Amino acid sequence: MMKPLSPKPGTAWSPKADQSFLHMSDLILKNIRKAYGHVTAVENANLTFESGKLTALLGPSGCGKTTLLRMIAGLEMPTSGDIILGGENIASKSAEQRKFGMVFQSFALFPHLNVARNVSYSLRIAGVDATTRRAKAQELLELVQLGDKGQRKIGQLSGGQRQRVAIARALAQEPEVFLLDEPMSALDAQLRGDLQMQLRLLQQKLGITTIVVTHDQREAMTMADQIVVMSHGRIEQIGTPQEIYHKPANSFVANFIGNANLLDGIATATGIRVGGTEIAVSDRGSFAAGQAVTLFCRPEAVALHDTEIPNSVPGTVTFVRDEGPAREIHLDTPAGHMTAEIPGSFEATVKIGDRFHAELPDGLLHLLPERSHDDEEAA
Amino acid sequence: MGMLLSRVFMGLMAVWIIVPILVVCAAALNGGRTMFFPPEDPTFARFVEFFVTEEVWIRSLRNSMIIALGSAALAVIAAWPIAYWLWRKADGVSKVLAGLASMPFALPPIVFGVGLVFFWGFSGSLGNIWSGIISHAALFMALPLTTLSIGLQSLDRSHLDAAATMGASEATAFRTIILPQMLPFTASGFFFAVVLSFNEFIVVFFVSASAYSTVTVQIFNSLRNGFTPTMAVGAITFITTSIIIFSLIARFGNLPQLLGADKSK
Amino acid sequence: MSKAAALPTRLAKVAYIGAVLAMCITPFLLVFAISFGEKIEGAAWVWGFQFDNYKRFFVGADYPNSISFLYLKFLWYSLYYAMIASILAVATCFPFVWLMTRLSRRAQTVWLVFFLASLTLSEVFVVMGWDILLSNRSGLPALFKETGLTDLLKETGWFDVLRSWGLASPRNVRFKPTEFATILTMTYLVWPYAVILLYPPLSKINNEIIEAARTMGAGPVTVVRTVVLPMVRTPIVGTVLLLFVFLLGAYVTIAVFAAPEKHTLSISVYEAVRGATLNAPFGSAQAIILLIAAAVVLVFSRMALERGEK
Repeated sequence: MMKPLSPKPGTAWSPKADQSFLHMSDLILKNIRKAYGHVTAVENANLTFESGKLTALLGPSGCGKTTLLRMIAGLEMPTSGDIILGGENIASKSAEQRKFGMVFQSFALFPHLNVARNVSYSLRIAGVDATTRRAKAQELLELVQLGDKGQRKIGQLSGGQRQRVAIARALAQEPEVFLLDEPMSALDAQLRGDLQMQLRLLQQKLGITTIVVTHDQREAMTMADQIVVMSHGRIEQIGTPQEIYHKPANSFVANFIGNANLLDGIATATGIRVGGTEIAVSDRGSFAAGQAVTLFCRPEAVALHDTEIPNSVPGTVTFVRDEGPAREIHLDTPAGHMTAEIPGSFEATVKIGDRFHAELPDGLLHLLPERSHDDEEAA
Repeated sequence: MGMLLSRVFMGLMAVWIIVPILVVCAAALNGGRTMFFPPEDPTFARFVEFFVTEEVWIRSLRNSMIIALGSAALAVIAAWPIAYWLWRKADGVSKVLAGLASMPFALPPIVFGVGLVFFWGFSGSLGNIWSGIISHAALFMALPLTTLSIGLQSLDRSHLDAAATMGASEATAFRTIILPQMLPFTASGFFFAVVLSFNEFIVVFFVSASAYSTVTVQIFNSLRNGFTPTMAVGAITFITTSIIIFSLIARFGNLPQLLGADKSK
Repeated sequence: MSKAAALPTRLAKVAYIGAVLAMCITPFLLVFAISFGEKIEGAAWVWGFQFDNYKRFFVGADYPNSISFLYLKFLWYSLYYAMIASILAVATCFPFVWLMTRLSRRAQTVWLVFFLASLTLSEVFVVMGWDILLSNRSGLPALFKETGLTDLLKETGWFDVLRSWGLASPRNVRFKPTEFATILTMTYLVWPYAVILLYPPLSKINNEIIEAARTMGAGPVTVVRTVVLPMVRTPIVGTVLLLFVFLLGAYVTIAVFAAPEKHTLSISVYEAVRGATLNAPFGSAQAIILLIAAAVVLVFSRMALERGEK
């Protein structure tokens, strides 16, 4: 009955977005900076949000990611810098002029309006006639599978339903950019996984430029084409989920995204010397020999052996965390504390006090700049 | 044991509050012209007198209602800008203004009453019903100011951000988001002011004239000149109005929250 | 964007602030200014700047030929009635509100409606109710006589005690006019206010705190004494003070229940401004002194409270 919204990315799902426009409408931040008095919330952010792609702003609380999102929305004005959309600098435009749809952490649904009227709010204040408004609200509610809930009050909805109403409401005005501030944080852990997938599918179907703020690396990796990792108002790394996970730019990113072994040592011509052992690292970057560096290796890359082999350090098991599908083995080695992840099993194959040689396979290692203590705290 | 003791104590306190009220109500049933308790020769004739036949009571009831409704409406209209300003900006000017606007309510009303006599005396409108309405509006402005401030504080500021990202200007957001959500608090403030104005005595006693008097002033005059059971009917009218209005506020608003209880409980 | 508001908007803003200030502040300023004025025999009064009104308040108009403390006595009775009644009200109200806040939210709402309704009850109705209850021909004295309680009191000798307290005439108990009736009615007048003012701080006390104290062996009364009371000491003192200021303006109660020689400033202020004596400047001076007395009590109590907290 309802005309479906255009399913393929890149085709027009709204009258505003014709083909040529879409290619132009990358959102570009140039030297965006925000300071409150002496406190700098965001430092020199340079970012490109590709048209039709989903970008996650990821970082611990207080890292400036929400401030950055609010500046994109126009709810905060940057202290300096440009925001360019479709070739036009919109940095001085107000939120109501930009009309980027936004989903808030608390969803910010209006309790005095029912579901359908919440969704059609932007159309009402823009002066759209009632019939069109109703049709559009119904279309959007069906898009988020709430077609029969239009007359409900907000208080009668579950958390997951509220989130979907908030999404429908933000999309009603056909925004050029779609913003979500921690959209899952008010929901149960069980719901999140499902809704992350649904949101990603919806975004791909609509092909709308989307920016999601989150502190949950799993959420970011599930949904994003591009992840921007932030800490202390700085951008630490920009990359695809795979780049961020497998090739972190520094020890902060390595620690924040999943678990990481970070071993301090001295760069050599062929790799690194840690705890008296020479480890060969092909991807050793451009560090000069003798420089203090940090060796990065994911726990699942570490292999445990009973006998000594090249590229390994000896270690004693200090703790075994059995998570079911996998076991996390904590080891005390001359190079420092390490963890290795091995497949789980019914048999207790490893116990505290066991001695192993932990292999650090060359192809899965990287050298990072020497880590600082700040990064450990943040992670 | 302790439970029983506390129940008895609460009951006793309720009795202590309710007995004089009951006495007044019962006195209205007196058949004769004098106040007796328990009433002699119970009759409803006094109610007819109060509402239908006795000109002086009908007129004062009408005055009371005009002043109560008019002043409450005026107080709400005057309080809205300050409350909004205070919430939006919380700057020094708005704080001072809110403090000054609450002064007539906070200080002994007799002093404000004296001041109003001079104020209206100078403008030549002492004894005019308009001066009564404005006086009560100034006196009770603190009430809508308080309920509105409580209401605005409970408003989620992200609602305004959400409205802005959907293209609403500040004026539009005020009209479509703030105003509808503030209706219960506006109404509460209005009704608090109505009830208190209805029952107010001292200030009206100072600024009224024989040309218009309210029910409270009329009752005070009869108190000094000897009782008539008719005035007890006035008391019943007032108590009933108060209970109805507060029940309405309790039904449609959150009374414990308005009175400053913890929201989460 | 809209930094410079349009001129009409700004004019409206200024006019609005002006109107609010005019209504809320000018009356007080007028009282202050006129308290330095001068009464003209046979006419009204004229502006002036002299302290005769204040002098008259403290030592009488005829000083130094004769000295009179009549108005100081009125001030004393204003403070006395108000302080006793507000302390009594808070002392009896506190345990009640504490018990009330432990009830369900629903039950609390019902109680609150009840007290709000009685709170808004005009002073004239309250006085009327107690007047019926306390007057000699009806109410309690009649009840005492009918039930033989008066005779019983006479037999046991308590009647003479009551008489020495001024609570009885030669024939029967008598409550009007007495200090007893005045303070009783004033306590009643502010009791619902005490409920409303004590409700927020007491309702915010978490039940877990109480349960914690009980797991450490404190009985209900001990809990109130050692946990609840110290937590709400400041609001309790604050409530007493608010009720005190409120009661300073009590008029009807005094006019009906207090003997003329024990009247308060409220009565004489009204007499001077709109009543028989018609001396607006002197009435203003009395009103200002009432305000100053209230302010002094407030400031001293706050200082005492702050010292107690350190």
